[in-house]
Amino acid sequence: MLMPPFTLHHPNTVDEAVGIASQLLEQQEDFDWVAGGTDVVPNYKWRINPKPHVISLANIPEANQISQYEIGCMTKLSQLTTENKVHPLIVEAASKIASSLVRKSATVGGNLCLDTRCFWYNQSEDWRRSIDWCHKADCGTGADCRVIPNQNTLCVATYQGDLAPNFMALGAKVSLIGPDGERTILLEDFYQLDGMKKNVLQPGEFMLKVSLPADAFEYDGSYQKLRLRESWDFPEAGISAVWKKGDYSTLKIASTALESIPKTHDSQVGEFASSWQNGTTISQLSDAIRKSVKPVNNTALPPNYRKSVVRILTKRALKNIGCE
Amino acid sequence: MSAGYRQQPGNRSSKRTDGKRVAGKQVFPPPGSGGSRPVMKERDLDFIPESVGGKEPQPAGSHIHDRIRTGTVVGKSLSLVDSNAKVTGQAWYGDDVRLPNETIGKILRSPHHYAKIKSIDTSRVEALPGVISVATGQDAANSFGVLPVTKDEHAMAVEKVRHMGDLVACVCAETEAIAIEALSLFDIEWEVLEPVFDRKMGLEDVDEPIHWRGKYHLSRTNVQKRVFQEFGDRSLVDNPHAASHGKWSMEGVHHGFTEPHAVVAHWDPNGRLQLYTPQQVPHYTHRALSTVLDVPMHQINVIRTFVGGGFGGKSDPFPHEMCAAILSRKSGRPVRITFDREEVYWINRGRHPSDIEVKMTADDVGRISGFDIDALIDGGGFASFGHVTSYYNGVLATAPYELGSFHYTGARVWTNKPASGAMRGHGAVNTRCAVEVGLDEMAEQMAVDPIDLRLANLLPPHSRTITGFRITSNGMREALEEVRDGSKWDEKFRQLPLGKGIGVGCGFFISGSGLPIHWDPNRFPHATVHIQVDMDGGVTVHTGAADIGQGSTTAVAQVVAEVLALPIEMIHVRSHESDTAPVDLGSYSSRVTFMNANAAIRAALEIREQILNAAWDILGYHPNTLVLNDRRIYYKHDPSIGVSYLKALHKAQEDKGSLIASGAYRSPPMGGVHKGAAAGLAPAYSFSAYVAEVDVDVELGLVKCTNVWAAHDCGKALNPLAVKGQIIGSCHMGLGQVLSEKMVYGRTGHLQNANLLEYKIPSVHEMPHVVPIIIESCDPEGPFGAKEAGEGPLLPILPAVVNAVYDAVGVRFRDLPLTPDIVYKGIERKRKSLKLDDCLELPNPRLEHGPMQEVLVARANEHKTRDKARQRTEDTSHYVNGVLFGFDPNIPLEDQVDGWRMATEPDPEQLAELGLAGKAWLKKTQREMGRDD
Repeated sequence: MLMPPFTLHHPNTVDEAVGIASQLLEQQEDFDWVAGGTDVVPNYKWRINPKPHVISLANIPEANQISQYEIGCMTKLSQLTTENKVHPLIVEAASKIASSLVRKSATVGGNLCLDTRCFWYNQSEDWRRSIDWCHKADCGTGADCRVIPNQNTLCVATYQGDLAPNFMALGAKVSLIGPDGERTILLEDFYQLDGMKKNVLQPGEFMLKVSLPADAFEYDGSYQKLRLRESWDFPEAGISAVWKKGDYSTLKIASTALESIPKTHDSQVGEFASSWQNGTTISQLSDAIRKSVKPVNNTALPPNYRKSVVRILTKRALKNIGCE
Repeated sequence: MSAGYRQQPGNRSSKRTDGKRVAGKQVFPPPGSGGSRPVMKERDLDFIPESVGGKEPQPAGSHIHDRIRTGTVVGKSLSLVDSNAKVTGQAWYGDDVRLPNETIGKILRSPHHYAKIKSIDTSRVEALPGVISVATGQDAANSFGVLPVTKDEHAMAVEKVRHMGDLVACVCAETEAIAIEALSLFDIEWEVLEPVFDRKMGLEDVDEPIHWRGKYHLSRTNVQKRVFQEFGDRSLVDNPHAASHGKWSMEGVHHGFTEPHAVVAHWDPNGRLQLYTPQQVPHYTHRALSTVLDVPMHQINVIRTFVGGGFGGKSDPFPHEMCAAILSRKSGRPVRITFDREEVYWINRGRHPSDIEVKMTADDVGRISGFDIDALIDGGGFASFGHVTSYYNGVLATAPYELGSFHYTGARVWTNKPASGAMRGHGAVNTRCAVEVGLDEMAEQMAVDPIDLRLANLLPPHSRTITGFRITSNGMREALEEVRDGSKWDEKFRQLPLGKGIGVGCGFFISGSGLPIHWDPNRFPHATVHIQVDMDGGVTVHTGAADIGQGSTTAVAQVVAEVLALPIEMIHVRSHESDTAPVDLGSYSSRVTFMNANAAIRAALEIREQILNAAWDILGYHPNTLVLNDRRIYYKHDPSIGVSYLKALHKAQEDKGSLIASGAYRSPPMGGVHKGAAAGLAPAYSFSAYVAEVDVDVELGLVKCTNVWAAHDCGKALNPLAVKGQIIGSCHMGLGQVLSEKMVYGRTGHLQNANLLEYKIPSVHEMPHVVPIIIESCDPEGPFGAKEAGEGPLLPILPAVVNAVYDAVGVRFRDLPLTPDIVYKGIERKRKSLKLDDCLELPNPRLEHGPMQEVLVARANEHKTRDKARQRTEDTSHYVNGVLFGFDPNIPLEDQVDGWRMATEPDPEQLAELGLAGKAWLKKTQREMGRDD
C-alpha cells in the first residue's frame, strides 16, 4: 500500500508549530497534525482524507514532558505504563490499548484526538468508491451516511479511544494551542458530537498537554474494556468509574466507544449517588447508564450487544472500586 | 590448487583439539568425511525399530520400511531445513524477487458486485507518461480453473464481473504511483446486474445466472454443484433411542496467511516465460498459464518462491499471475504485482460460508443408526475447488464412526462474493463440527459419557467406511484415550462450576487425495522425485513438492538422509523450479509427505542399491550382510571391515559418473464405483481427538479457551517437532474459526472487514495451553508409516470448544463463530426461559450415567481388543462398515438386506423431504428440460 505524497513539517517549538499552521491556513493548504502516527498513517495509506501537509509534534519539548499532573501530548502510551508517577487508572487504561508494539509509537494526544471509526469509513479508497463514498469522506459528492441512511447531517462514526473516559472521570483538563493563543478546557468539553467534527479544535489548533486536578490522586478508578481480543482491538465499549473511596458524592462515570464521543454520565450518577443503597443501587445505576448510550452498527460487535453489556461493565467497574 | 586455498571458511588453526592430523592443506575433505562430523556416528538404536533389532518400540506393529531405517533422522525432532533462511530474513518470498528493469503492475478491480462490461476505453491510461502496458479481458480469452471440470475463470473479466474486487483490467508502469494513478483513467461503461448474496437465493431461478453451463446448467439457478448420496439401511433410523437435530450457520473464514499474494513475470531473452510466485500448487499454475497464454508448457518455467503461508489459499492458479505474464509479454519487461491485504480477501478461496443441517440417531444399544447431513455452501463468484468441497462436506463425515446409514445432500451455489475454495481441513471442518456436537447431544440424551459413546462406535483399523473408503491404520481409539487421561476428563466432565467447561471432539481427514485430477492414476504416478549424487558425495533431490511452511522439504530431505544414512546437511532439496523439478501435484489434500516422501524413498533406495553393490565389489560381502551407517558401510558381523561412503560411491560412479535415480509413488486401486466415489478417497486417513477446556464469562458471553489436549494420529512422526508445530498451529487456526474469525458482508454485500484489524485472528493472548500428543499407528503404505499432520488436527478443535461451552453454560450454540454477542444472546434466552434474575444463577449440565453407559463401556472394551489385533495385523479378516449392525463382511451388504441403499440420486418420492441444499434436486438441467445450448 503506497503512502500518498505529503510534505512533512518538523517544528522544534510550539511557536514554530503554530507559525507553520498559520501560514498553511493563510495559503489555504490543508494539513494534519501527527504525533505517533498510529492512527493517521494507516488512514493515509487508505487515502482517508489525506492532506498535502503534515505537521509533526515530535520535536516540541513541551509536548514530550511528563509529570504527575501534566502529561504532554507526545507522551508514548508505553511510557504511561512504565513511569511510576502516573495515575493508576491511566496506567490501567493505557496498558489495555492496542498492542505493546503500537503503544511504543502511539501517544496520549493521538489517543485523545483519535479519529472516529466506522465500518463504512475505515476502508480503502477503492472500497469507499464502490459504495459511492460516505458522509464523512464524501470526496465532494455530498454522500449520505451509510450507517443510518437518509440523513446526511450527522456522522455517527464511533470514537474508540481508551484514555478519554478515564481522564474525563478524573476531571482532566487539556491545553489547546493555536494561532489565537492557548486555552485550557475540561476534557469533557473537548469532544463535540458528530463523528466528523469530533472535538472543539479550531483550524490550526492542537492539543499540547493534558493535566489532572490537584485531588486526582485521591480518586480510585477502574476501567472496563470490552473487546474481542486482548491485543490490537479498539474498545467495543468502555466504562470508567472513579470515586474518593466511600464518598458517593464524588462518584463519576464516563464511557467510550459507544457513540461519536466519549461522555460522562453525571446526570445518571447524580440521580442515584445521593441515596445509595448497597446491593440495589448498583443495578439501577448500571441500567440507567445502559439506557443513556446509543451505539450504532459500525464496529465489530452488534450495537444491541454493546449496549447490553454496558450494564455489566458499569457494575464491574463499580465493584472494582468498592462501590457496591 | 594454490596453497592458500581453503575449501571451507573458518578453522585456519593448524592444531586440532582431538590431536588428529590436520586436513589443512588438503583442498577437498578426505573420503567419508562428508557432513560436519569428523568421524562416523554410532548407530542410534533408539531410532531403529524393534523389528529389525533396534530399540524403537512399535506398539502398532512393524512396517515394510523398517529394514531401511538407519537411525539417522527419522523420528527425531529437527529444525526445518529452511528455518535458518526464514529466521535470518533471507528467505525470498514473492515480493522479494527484484529483476532488473522491472515495472510495477496494478489491477483494476470491479466496483460493482455484478455487472456487464459494455465497453472499456484505455486510451487515457495509455497516454499517461510512465505507463508501459495495459491489458484487459480481451487480451486473454481462454478460461482456466483449478479443477479441469470447472474452468470458469479468466485472467480478467471478459464479459462480466462477478464480485466486487473481480479483475477488470491491469496496467504496468515505471512506478507504483503511476500505476495507481493509471487505474483511475480507465473509461468503462457498465450495465449493472442484480446481484445475489444470500446462498439460499442461489437455489432460485434468476434472469442472469452468474455462470452459464449450457446444457448442464441447472434450470436458471446459481447452483454450481449438487450432490446426493445415500448408503446403508435407512430403516435403522426409525424409532431412535436418541436423536439430535441441529441447524448450523457458519460464516466464511479466510486463511489469514502473512504473505500477501505477489508475482513477478518475465519473458527471458529466449522468449520463455519465467514466473515467480508463492504457489502451493505450481503445476496447476503452469498448466493454466499455458492455456491462457497459448504457449506450450515447456516454454514456461514456474519458479515457486518461499511461501509465506498458504493453508489452501495459494493453491488455485490465480488471475493476477496471468495478468503479470500478459503485461510482461506486452511490455518486454519484468512485471511485479503485489497485493494489498484487501486484494487478498477479494481473491479469497477461504472456507465456504455454510448452512449445515445434521440429523442423527442412535439405537437402543447406542449404535449410530444414521447420519443425515445437508450442506448448502456459498461458493462466491467462481468454482475454485468447490466441486470437491461439495462432496467433502458429506463424505468426510463417514468415519471414524460405524454408521447404520448415511444420507447426504449438498449444494454449492455461486453468489456475487469473493470465491470460496480450499482451506486447511478442506470441506471437512464445518460438518465435522456439526456431527461431533450432535454426538455430544445424543450422549446427553442417553445419559452416557460422550467419549464412551465414541469409543463404542469406532471403525477398526483395516476396514471400509459406509461409502467404501479404505481405512488402513487407525489410531482413533488411542487418541481418545490419551486425551481422556491427559485432561483428567473423568474428574471434570459435567462437574465443573458454571462458566467452566470441558468438551471433546474428533477428526478424520484424508492423507492425500487418491485421484490425481489431471491424469489417469493407472498410467501416471502421483509424485516423482529425482535424486542425483555427484562425486562430492552431496545428494541433490529434485522434487516439485511445494514447501509452504509445513516442512515438506525437510520431510523429503529426512527420508533420503535416513535411507542413505547421511547427515541431513548432505541432502540438498531443489524444489523451486518447474524446469528442474519433476511434475508434482503440489501441496494440497495433505498429500505431500505421504506421496513425495514415498517417491523419495524409492529413488533413495535405488541409489542405496548402487552404493551397496559397489561396497560388495570392494569388500566382497553381499549387500544383505552390509550395514549402512553414517557415511560408512561395513560388514554386519565385523564392523572393522568396511568402506567409506565416498569410496563406495566413487566405485559406483566408475564409468557412469554422477548417480541418478528416479522414484515415484502411485496409490493402489481402491474405492467404490458410484458417482463421486473418488471424492474423499485417500491412500490413508488421519485421526484426531481433542479435549478443550474453556472459561466463559457468563455475563459478557466472552469465551476463552484455556487448555487443549490434542492427540493426532499421524501414523509415524518423521519429525515430532514439526508435527507438534502443525498441531498447535491447527489449534490456533481452528480457534479463530470457532471463536472470532468471520468474513463480514454488510447489508450492501460489501466485505466489511478486509483487513487484519477487523478480521479477528486470535492473538497470543487467546491461545490456550496446547498439549500436543502424537499417536503413531504406523500406516502400512505411509513413508516409514507416516500420514498427514497438516490439516486433520484442525478439525476437532471446533466441536471440542462448542461442546465445552455447553458444559460451561448449558446452552448449545450452532452459529459460528461464537462471538460474545451470540453467546450472550443464547445465555440470556436460557436465563429468561428459566425465569432467573441473574445469569450467574444458571444451572449447568450434570451427568448421571444411565443404563446405556455400561453397555457402551463393555462394547468399547471388546472393540479395543479387536482393534489392537487388527492394527498389528494379527487379525486380517475382512471388516466393512455394517459389521457392528450384524452384517457379514464377506457378502455384499445389498445381498443381505432388502433396503440397503447405495444411491447417488434421490428417488422421486424422496424429493419432497430433502433439506435446504437438497432442494437443488427439485430443479432439472437444461438438457433434461430439452435445451441443448
